[in-house]
Amino acid sequence: MAEKSSKGSMLMNWLDERTGIRHAMDEALNEPIPGGSRWAYVFGSLLLFLMILQIVTGIVLTLYYAPTADHAHASVAYIQKVVPGGALLRGIHHYGSSAMIILAIAHLAQTFLYGAYKRKRELVWGLGVVMLLIIFAFGFTGYLLAWDQAAYFGTKVGTAIAGEIPIIGSLQQKIMLGGTDLTTVTLSRFFTTHVFLLPLALIALAGLHVLLFRKAGPAGPYHDRDNHRVDRFYPKQIFKDSVAMLALFVVLAYLALKWPAELGPVADPTSDYLARPPWYFMPLFQLLKYFPGKFAIIPTVVLPAIIFGVLFLLPFFDRKGERNPFKRPLATALLILMLAGAGGLIYLSKYQDRHNPEFAEKLKQQDEEMHAFFKAPFQPQQIGAKTVAVSAKAASNDTVAPNAYMESCADCHGDKGEGASAPELLGVAAKPNRAHDDLIKILDDARAYGLKKPMPANFPDLKDEDKKAIVEWMVKLK
Amino acid sequence: MSVHHASEENNSERRTFLGVISGLIAAGISAVLGVTIGRFAISPALSSGGAETWTDVGPLAEIPEGKPTKHNVIVSQNAGWGEFNSQKLVWVLKNGEKITVFTAVCPHLGCTVNAKEEAFICACHNSKWDVAGNAVAGPTPRGLDVLEHKIEGDILKVKYMDFKQGVSQKEVLS
Repeated sequence: MAEKSSKGSMLMNWLDERTGIRHAMDEALNEPIPGGSRWAYVFGSLLLFLMILQIVTGIVLTLYYAPTADHAHASVAYIQKVVPGGALLRGIHHYGSSAMIILAIAHLAQTFLYGAYKRKRELVWGLGVVMLLIIFAFGFTGYLLAWDQAAYFGTKVGTAIAGEIPIIGSLQQKIMLGGTDLTTVTLSRFFTTHVFLLPLALIALAGLHVLLFRKAGPAGPYHDRDNHRVDRFYPKQIFKDSVAMLALFVVLAYLALKWPAELGPVADPTSDYLARPPWYFMPLFQLLKYFPGKFAIIPTVVLPAIIFGVLFLLPFFDRKGERNPFKRPLATALLILMLAGAGGLIYLSKYQDRHNPEFAEKLKQQDEEMHAFFKAPFQPQQIGAKTVAVSAKAASNDTVAPNAYMESCADCHGDKGEGASAPELLGVAAKPNRAHDDLIKILDDARAYGLKKPMPANFPDLKDEDKKAIVEWMVKLK
Repeated sequence: MSVHHASEENNSERRTFLGVISGLIAAGISAVLGVTIGRFAISPALSSGGAETWTDVGPLAEIPEGKPTKHNVIVSQNAGWGEFNSQKLVWVLKNGEKITVFTAVCPHLGCTVNAKEEAFICACHNSKWDVAGNAVAGPTPRGLDVLEHKIEGDILKVKYMDFKQGVSQKEVLS
């Protein structure tokens, strides 16, 4: 033992001579905490932990994720349904984003209630407010990446809101979209923002935040009852932080496994999907209902600008030394009002959706579609033609399609059955469940054969002899 | 809440205990996350290289007798979220019951082998093979690579593979 520890200290001496690690560790671990360690102080460390967790899970998700409109959804479905540990990692990342917002608000609220933003800590506070905005931007840009119905239509609405802002709105929207519509270019720039720009900004600001916080030192409690007590960061506060981190990690992993992060069917721009934002944008969504037309800028620009402006500048006009929340009734009441207001708006939005029969029905149907897709086994995306030289083969088909085919089928399946927006019909009769009689039955009830939209369920306009003519021609297609 | 005393700072046993617990928590989270990420990241390496894949050349009846014919076949490769289908070329020679299928990849440096006057040539570096695929001239290190084939119903199928180029022995690339 003795020999081992001396070897250890030799290594330490060697390292210390070159890095000054002893002094750095001393600075980091022995920071005094006036008034003693507290559970109320865990939020900052939790946010740092969560930021690292989000970065780590985010990086590994990109091992399989493909940021293009054609493949994004398939790649996310693959992560969720096939890759070992994929559901857990994606789930932690998904719920982690919500946890980030909740904990950032809790951290701000604690600092606010303890009056810890006051003199000497104005910049620490200001950086925190900016980071809250960045966290919301993470949520907004990350939401699109799965490219399912909710992602597509949610972002469609989100970017439209950005476009309604007077003067700069329309340019801003075009920059966000990378054009005039939500396309694969939009997905690329949301991806770039989400995985490169925002993380760089957040890491830089968080570093500065911690640095300036260490420079100013912890503010301690708002009262002086515990003045006699001073803990060091290590081990008491670190212990509390660690326990909180473990609890957070267990909760995130539990949520990820028990209620996996949702993924609906792939985005279909032609559908009438009813978009609902994630919970943290719901207060804004609900407020928009009360400010129609040109007043929409009140909840989208004016109110957020006032809230974040006031928050940012708070330490500059609230310059009294008083820190006790009970002796700052206005400040405390304002915080409670804001949090209750946001909570109330979320509740109201859910309540109205539940009690509007039309919306409730549509949302229920969308939810069922989402779960149906989620349960269905993963289908790999087909890249490249699965059949050889289709057009050449189709061209060699010298039989002419019957008129009924040209009228009812050719637009989607091609004039010679070579396929277009719908699959090719060449060689169809050789496939399972596609014999002559099956094909006739498909024309009467396509759904019974598992064929999905846009294939019509049946063709009421076709006479029986028309159907026969079509199928007789089809089975000859090689 | 327990009552705290300043003297507790000196309670080194308790300090160590809290430190150890904190360290265990950090190690536990890192371990769970590390194992999950490890499996997630290396899973493609652990999956078997995929079952044998047979691909259709075409109906046997349509393959002419005694004369090499070129056919496109589809090779499907599963990679992550996609099934990537690509077209490859094969040469088929039918002499009554005997069928030989060659890959059209030149064993020299990978150009596409062509047929001319009932023999095979590679225009890149002037390699030549006879109709049975034996090397006759040029820099080719070996004969044309024969692919395994089978007949199912009236369809000729082939197991498409890639082989190492530039060596005298046929070596499968996988």
